Amino acid sequence: MELRAELAAERESPHLMRFGKKLAMNAIMLLFTASCIFPLLWLGYSSLKTQAEFSNSIISLPGKLHFENYAEAIKLTNMPQLSLNSIRVTAISVVLIVLIAFITGYFVARLQFKGKRLMVIYYLFGLLVPIHALLVPVYLLFKETGLADHWYTLVIPYVAFNLSMPILLVSSYVTGIPKEIEEAAAIDGLSFSRTMFMIIMPMAVPVLTTVAILQFFACWNEFSFALVLLKDASMRTVPLGMSYFKSQYSTNYPQLMAGMVLSMLPVTIMYFAFSSRIIAGVMAGAVKG
Amino acid sequence: MGKALRPSSWLMLLYLLPGLSIYSFVVLVPIFSAFRYSFYSWTGGPKRSFIGLDNYVEIMRDHVFWQSFLNNGLMTVYGLIGQVGLAFLFALFLLSRAVRFKALHRTISFFPSTLAPIIIAFLWTLIYNYNYGLLNEGLKLLGLERLAQSWLDLSGPIVLLVSIPLSWQNIGFYTLLMLAGLSAINKEVLEVAELDGATGFRKAWYVIIPLAKPTLMVASLLCIANNMRGFEHIYAMTGGGPGNASSVMALYAYDTSFLRFRYGYGSALAIAIMALTLLIILLSAFALQRKRSTDGGGS
Repeated sequence: MELRAELAAERESPHLMRFGKKLAMNAIMLLFTASCIFPLLWLGYSSLKTQAEFSNSIISLPGKLHFENYAEAIKLTNMPQLSLNSIRVTAISVVLIVLIAFITGYFVARLQFKGKRLMVIYYLFGLLVPIHALLVPVYLLFKETGLADHWYTLVIPYVAFNLSMPILLVSSYVTGIPKEIEEAAAIDGLSFSRTMFMIIMPMAVPVLTTVAILQFFACWNEFSFALVLLKDASMRTVPLGMSYFKSQYSTNYPQLMAGMVLSMLPVTIMYFAFSSRIIAGVMAGAVKG
Repeated sequence: MGKALRPSSWLMLLYLLPGLSIYSFVVLVPIFSAFRYSFYSWTGGPKRSFIGLDNYVEIMRDHVFWQSFLNNGLMTVYGLIGQVGLAFLFALFLLSRAVRFKALHRTISFFPSTLAPIIIAFLWTLIYNYNYGLLNEGLKLLGLERLAQSWLDLSGPIVLLVSIPLSWQNIGFYTLLMLAGLSAINKEVLEVAELDGATGFRKAWYVIIPLAKPTLMVASLLCIANNMRGFEHIYAMTGGGPGNASSVMALYAYDTSFLRFRYGYGSALAIAIMALTLLIILLSAFALQRKRSTDGGGS
């Protein structure tokens, strides 16, 4: 085959790839990566400038670090309250997502039942449905049923909209666990539920962790449904609070930037603490998707 | 199969029901209720009047809605180029032996995807700002001060300008997706991706693209779905402006309902968006599938 010959030729002459080409590819990648991180670094160091310093020179590094921007931003956004609301909604949503996705994904992987295919397609539909077209209908539904404006309100859409991918991830992971494990458990007299929760669930911890981290990001960052479902200021989550903060104090840029940095902090810490696992998880999900 | 391996139907239902009910309540029920409201004129009060198909007739003639639809389409095109296309290129680079610091590139470029879209939109509003923006400052440093603009007030290229942050944020995600898909391809074949000269690019085109087609297809469909549902970036950056130049369908439905209190019409818009989006996704899935089978280059 022609391809094989070419491959062989290439292996025999590895120097064929010239130095310049290598350099160019590396330069492009470095430029790309720099462009991904630079705006965020700019946001970070600009948040430590005074307003005058920032308007004098937009791009330069701060002379003295002005952490009072952060103190002001925390006060003006009422960040403790926003964080508390976000933590509550996110934590409950993530726990429910992990639990429901585990059970559903396990069923998809291991059991044959009527309507299984239909159920999988039904959940996959969630990946394609234009969820923001549902903003108005969901708002009307929640208003009518009295579900809007409570501390638990956002948990409902956050769980519902974030089930599809986790179910796929779990079911593909469970498929890779040998069936003999359940057979052995059955011989030992364990019931179906005990086997699922006490034998398989611990084995699925890696995938469940990935799901939990990714859904933590999704819930922490969500803005649109918070915007339409919450009128009560005391219920606001971080992204929603930031949106009001920006429209009120948008003239003090360093202060606004300090607020933005604060709002990204939990995700940033989580990401850099678990980045290799997160990346592996996303890639595993991509292959399944 | 033993009894313990297969639970009773009741138990199965009990386990699946919580997920199915919460999912149906948020995804399915609103679609049906929106369909019902779409036949009414309703300002949110207790009175609703039945007006038949009037809302849908109005949609057909509503040029703001169709402009928003076109903007979604344009964003999708920019997304396919700037997200899927560039991501494919970067993934090829990252698989090449010549490129160093692969883990660093992957880790940094995926980071923006994990951040809140609304905060990214604020960040880019600052970047595009006339007096205090990074973009104009950069132009000044390059001696191109005359090109400085109040970027988000330009109605001509506005859709491109709001698409750039979307690409910037999501390109890392699509790169990972491509990497995952390409890694599944035989390593030997991938060595061809060492792009050396024109022959290298040709090889990439003829060898890798056919093999990567399933991955490219999934990425394209996701990209189409994501751009058709776009809302937050536009809401935060331009609010659909200047005029309606950057309006997208979801934002228009939002404005109709929450600023003009036309819930009946807003519901009809929701149904129209749903139908148009799913139609476009189905058509593109069909087109991509067909192309794949007629090319005969599958795998």
